Amino acid sequence: MIAPAVFGIVVFTVIPAIQMVVWSFYDINQLNPAKTRFIGFGNYTRIFQSADFTRALVNTGVYTFWTVVVIMALAILLAVWLGTKRDKLSKFTQAAIFLPYIVSMVSIGLIFLQLMSPNYGLFNAILEAVGLPKSQWTQSSKTAMMSVILVAVWKAIGYYTIIIGGALQAVPTELYEAAALDNSGKVRTLLKITIPIISPQLFFVLIIMTIGSFKVFETIQIMTGGGPNNATSAAGGVVLLIIVGVLTFVYFRLLSRKVHYQ
Amino acid sequence: MASIEFQNVTKKFGDNTVISSMNLTIEDGSFTVLVGPSGCGKTTLLRMIAGIGPQTSGRVLVGGRDVTDIEPGKRGVAMVFQNYAIYPTMTVRENISFGLKNIHMPKETIDKRVKEACSKVGMMEYLDRKPSTLSGGQRQRIALARAIVKNPEVFLMDEPLSNLDAKLRVQMRVELIELHKKLKTTFVYVTHDQVEAMSMADTIVLMDGGRIQQMASPSVMYKDPDNLFTARFIGSPSMNIRRMDDSTSFGFRPEHASIGPEKEPNAWFTTTGTITAREMLGSETLYTIRDSAGNATVSVPEEHIYLFGSDGNRVRAEDAEYETLMEKVRQQH
Repeated sequence: MIAPAVFGIVVFTVIPAIQMVVWSFYDINQLNPAKTRFIGFGNYTRIFQSADFTRALVNTGVYTFWTVVVIMALAILLAVWLGTKRDKLSKFTQAAIFLPYIVSMVSIGLIFLQLMSPNYGLFNAILEAVGLPKSQWTQSSKTAMMSVILVAVWKAIGYYTIIIGGALQAVPTELYEAAALDNSGKVRTLLKITIPIISPQLFFVLIIMTIGSFKVFETIQIMTGGGPNNATSAAGGVVLLIIVGVLTFVYFRLLSRKVHYQ
Repeated sequence: MASIEFQNVTKKFGDNTVISSMNLTIEDGSFTVLVGPSGCGKTTLLRMIAGIGPQTSGRVLVGGRDVTDIEPGKRGVAMVFQNYAIYPTMTVRENISFGLKNIHMPKETIDKRVKEACSKVGMMEYLDRKPSTLSGGQRQRIALARAIVKNPEVFLMDEPLSNLDAKLRVQMRVELIELHKKLKTTFVYVTHDQVEAMSMADTIVLMDGGRIQQMASPSVMYKDPDNLFTARFIGSPSMNIRRMDDSTSFGFRPEHASIGPEKEPNAWFTTTGTITAREMLGSETLYTIRDSAGNATVSVPEEHIYLFGSDGNRVRAEDAEYETLMEKVRQQH
């Protein structure tokens, strides 16, 4: 019964993945396949010697770290807040923060470029109005990363809030009542009872977010450091695969004792 | 050790008044069972004592102290929930010690008290297990230990046995009675099961529609009901009730009726019918008799007949209508 599914996975996932690994050891010439030759780790030495590649890698790492941390923290707080208040404001908030998730990235990019314009943008106007120093936003290498992280958080926060909110609803009310009778304050209840109970969902969100974030690297890498015929792309893909694989493994090792499956 | 007092307590959920200006005193050290059909307000009362569903108006006193503005954890009460409400991610030890850690009790004292509480419920060897590896009865004991460890002045229990199988329920009933004897604190126990109420309580508070129908010891509840509701609710099988033409009624307990081919000499009320079912329970046998024409005669002596007025309240021997109603019963068939 699962044969069609397995077939699909093999054709569209397993074979391309193996193909990618194989190609990463070849110098591929698409115009003249006869000139394609095996070069061992040649592609890898090339990409690691390329300043663009390593910079893209480090930047992706920083970007991933901050988006994951900020989204996790905010999504938990928002989900808790939305879960305890069931009024019109919270329903509106829930819809509002989810909206960016369904807007196309192209529109978001254009809108934020305008908002973040150092001279005419709304953000600087607001900063100026409240007496804070203006920012160069995407125009300066110092603040560009922060700007990109801000947009990423803004876009994805609603989605993760809903996932975590769903997990929160599965926590029985009596546990909170028992905690109140046990003299547990709000913060302690969140840390000691709520978060451990929803830890499987949080762990899932953490892994999905990390992988998703790291994929930004692919785009940048292909656009910047692909080289002639994207010769080194396959090698870059393998490096990414290894990094994400190692990260997931590390997560499992570090957090498996903290994740409570029931 | 503390008494509990409700003074003019009203509870509303939105526009719906569940309890209106109730007054009730639960004696210090008693085992009081709040019993009644679902939706009668018994759990609402319990939650008011705990502070997890505060009253809309009126005062609740625990040990003479108004607890209206006091947080649940600082009222000196502990609660056992219907589905136990055990923290699933904590071990048994963590579950029991959580409340003590939160009030920053020294570690050695916590250890000592956790062990004491655990041995009282016979769960010593499970201290480091996770709740998911325990059975329903064991989780129930953990929930009890979690309450005991706090040394509360009042134990609140919300249908704690309803998720257990019949045999374990009977066993836990006995254990709770013994625990009450050992701890000598006030127990307030909520159930919809009159058998649990009868077997465990020293005082039963029978509720219906947010009102107290009767508050008495189990034996008074059974032998001397104040009204039709109590008479019907307490006792299994329940009292036989027959309505008379003017909406007054009378009743008798099944064990006080004799069944035979003919009427008994001391019978005040007799009727004939057909035996339609017979249930052999060992120590007793239950007969169901449909009172149409038939060959079984049911006889009930005068002293075992309960009279109820048209308002559903009991008519006792000292009441004026008693004689006339009794006479009317004799004319019934």
